[in-house]
Amino acid sequence: MLKRMLAVAVGVLFLAGCQDNSGVAGGAGSAADENYFSGRTITYIIATDPGGGYDAYGRMIARYMQEHLPGARIIIRNVPGAGHIVGANTIYASRPDGLTIGMFNTGLIYNQLLGLDGVQFDLTRMSWVGKASNEIRVMLVATNSPYKSFEDMLAADEPVKFAASGVGSAAYLDTRILDTVYPEFDIETISGFAGAEGELSMMRGELVAQVGIDSSYHQFVANGNGYFALTMSQLAAELYPDVPVAQDYATTEDGRELLSILEALSDLGRLTAGPPDIPTDILAVLREAHSNALNDPDLLAEAMQIHVPITEGSGEYVEQRIIEALDQPPEIISLLEQAATSH
Amino acid sequence: MNIDIAFGTLFTLLTDPYLIFLMLIAVPLGAFFGAMPGLGGKLGVVLLIPFVFGMEPIAGAVLLLSMHAVVHTGGSIPSILFGIPGDGTSTAVVLDGYEMTRNGEGGRALGASFGASGIGGVLGAVFLGLLLPVLRPIVLAFSPAEFFLLAILGITFIATLSGKNVVKGLVLGLLGLMVAFVGLDPSTGGPRYTFGHLFLWDGIDIITAVLAMYAIPEMIALGSGQGVVDYSDSANKKYKISEVWDGIIDVFRHWGLSLRTSLVGAVIGLIPGLGGDAASWICYGHAVQSSKTPERFGKGAVEGVIAPETANNSKEGGALLPTLFFAVPGSSGMALLLGAFLMLGIQPGPTIVTENIDLVWMLIWALAVSNVLCVVILLGLTPWLGSLANVRPPLLIPFVLVFALLGSYLSSAAWENLILIFFLGCLGYMCRRHSWPRPPFVIGVVLGPVAEDSLHKALALWGPSFFLRPISLILIAMIIGSIAFYIWRTRRESVEVPGNA
Repeated sequence: MLKRMLAVAVGVLFLAGCQDNSGVAGGAGSAADENYFSGRTITYIIATDPGGGYDAYGRMIARYMQEHLPGARIIIRNVPGAGHIVGANTIYASRPDGLTIGMFNTGLIYNQLLGLDGVQFDLTRMSWVGKASNEIRVMLVATNSPYKSFEDMLAADEPVKFAASGVGSAAYLDTRILDTVYPEFDIETISGFAGAEGELSMMRGELVAQVGIDSSYHQFVANGNGYFALTMSQLAAELYPDVPVAQDYATTEDGRELLSILEALSDLGRLTAGPPDIPTDILAVLREAHSNALNDPDLLAEAMQIHVPITEGSGEYVEQRIIEALDQPPEIISLLEQAATSH
Repeated sequence: MNIDIAFGTLFTLLTDPYLIFLMLIAVPLGAFFGAMPGLGGKLGVVLLIPFVFGMEPIAGAVLLLSMHAVVHTGGSIPSILFGIPGDGTSTAVVLDGYEMTRNGEGGRALGASFGASGIGGVLGAVFLGLLLPVLRPIVLAFSPAEFFLLAILGITFIATLSGKNVVKGLVLGLLGLMVAFVGLDPSTGGPRYTFGHLFLWDGIDIITAVLAMYAIPEMIALGSGQGVVDYSDSANKKYKISEVWDGIIDVFRHWGLSLRTSLVGAVIGLIPGLGGDAASWICYGHAVQSSKTPERFGKGAVEGVIAPETANNSKEGGALLPTLFFAVPGSSGMALLLGAFLMLGIQPGPTIVTENIDLVWMLIWALAVSNVLCVVILLGLTPWLGSLANVRPPLLIPFVLVFALLGSYLSSAAWENLILIFFLGCLGYMCRRHSWPRPPFVIGVVLGPVAEDSLHKALALWGPSFFLRPISLILIAMIIGSIAFYIWRTRRESVEVPGNA
């Protein structure tokens, strides 16, 4: 009797194991229905330590996606390291079963364009689930500086000191691109100023400006310490009607091409992605859940309260924009390389 | 300053049962997250944030801040009992705290640590209150030039921390500085000594370095019968409250040191950019240098517990100021709290003094009260905590090794740390066996990146003339004074004890 029960138990376990495996391995064929995720656990990778903007977005999106995927559980895994590269590599190398997705800095587009060290991913091949925000690039200028507008800065006789985080980071390249686009404007980029440090340095009057994402400067501007002198995206025209747009000051065709990369980055904020080759039907379920989560009134209310702006975009749209942004002619790449290695 | 508001809010805080209830939940949680190696207080706050969503601003802020305030108090427990730091800021207390445990003074070490944490937390909060009117100029007076010189001042403590073996200390200190160069070069962005491994881009993890230099060698020594703890008569001993009390009294016996390190900690917390690890190590170095008997340090000196612990907790008081008034967080933990404050509808910024001064005082008092509360709760637990330290070596060693490896892995979520801890652990064991002083190595690892990064920035901003800034000159004088004092004392000792050059 006992033996039989054991045999049955082992059999059931074995079958359960098989079923689970076939569900994953079979992918496209057998798992077509919406119940694929029911009873399964999705790992949502965030490419930073706990705390900070990416963590806040990632945790919020994961929590609401779980609500829109009946029966699924989404757990968070922080995979920090090497400026989001370790996280992106980890997502890229995971099994394409839809059970591993995650978020990393869109600025990694630069790393791929420049063929930098450590990149083991191809962004054009990733399975894009959707975008959560615009990250409008702006030039933040200290109120206590002698420059009252972007035109003042263009007319400056001496180099203007800009803060940027590490060399090779997205913020650093954004800044160097501006220096390349406007030959008459001499930007001296001083690296190593991450977030709050750069803002404090501007308050001390050591540094004049920095390039970054509009929403992260909300408090700094509200407190009267700085103003937006320039935006890098037409998307900003509605939000900041009085702030000039970078494209309007570009004098060369190459300059406009370079700015279009900044424009694309401004449009692609807080992306959720999975590894290449997630079966289309499973990806479709994830994309729908992402879209429903980001249109959930509760999420929108919560986002409003913690000052994380939401602009939802579909996975298809992101995929197309990423492919466009990475399709650059060799002369633009070499200009970027020059920008990346200058100071 | 309006005295009515200042003390009225304290009265409200202490008499509102709801707020007290929240603090009674938050304080044990914070201490727990701080005490678990690898978990860390920041993760605790991240997990708690969704629960405060929709709470009253004051209640939510008090809950989160109380939790955050006591993380370092809890963090010292595994440092002292097992030599495993709960987080980066609890690394300095390992040196003498764990040594005291091995000498059978674990109860006193815990008492001193809790007492110092409480005093540091309260003094940090008081300091915060006093500084309210003159905050802006003080915070803005410190720039990368001053950071660089502060780090150099800390590095000069290597000499004192080397004990009798100055040459050995310098060698290990330089080795520590070299280890600090592993990672991305802050000025060129190029990888240095990373050998193609991404995990080395972020540099050598400080928790892993301390675990490898302390926990691993101690366990090897204990396992091979070199441990000095006498387990025969203490096998089932619990710490008597009198021993713990003795530790608390120690904090007051060394009141000058407690006061100074509280102030230094609060100032370092006030200035965003220097980091909490640097605060506790600089204060540890100061304790050694200002002691009449520096040779006792590293062998279980209670001042070696008091100095880093006061600094740990007082720096959170300092760090709250720039967070509230400039919306510029003074530490990574404060960056999290800033996000949570915004969510609760609290708008940090210069106007908070005029529009929401009640809230500011409420938070200051919450810092102070939660620190006191934490000390009381942990003192109640000390007899049981203490018996953990008397576990027999065959049971203790695997347990400590598992937690050490876990802490090392979790501190930067990289399995490669486990390989690193093996190699550095071998180095640590050799140092221990052949009496090479280990603190200089850790000082190099902790302060090297601060010194390098701020030197680059200072040179880019001002060129070499940054040495002539007013505060720079004061710091340079302190550095020269520190070296001169060391030389004077060494010469005097060699005169007093002939033949012991």
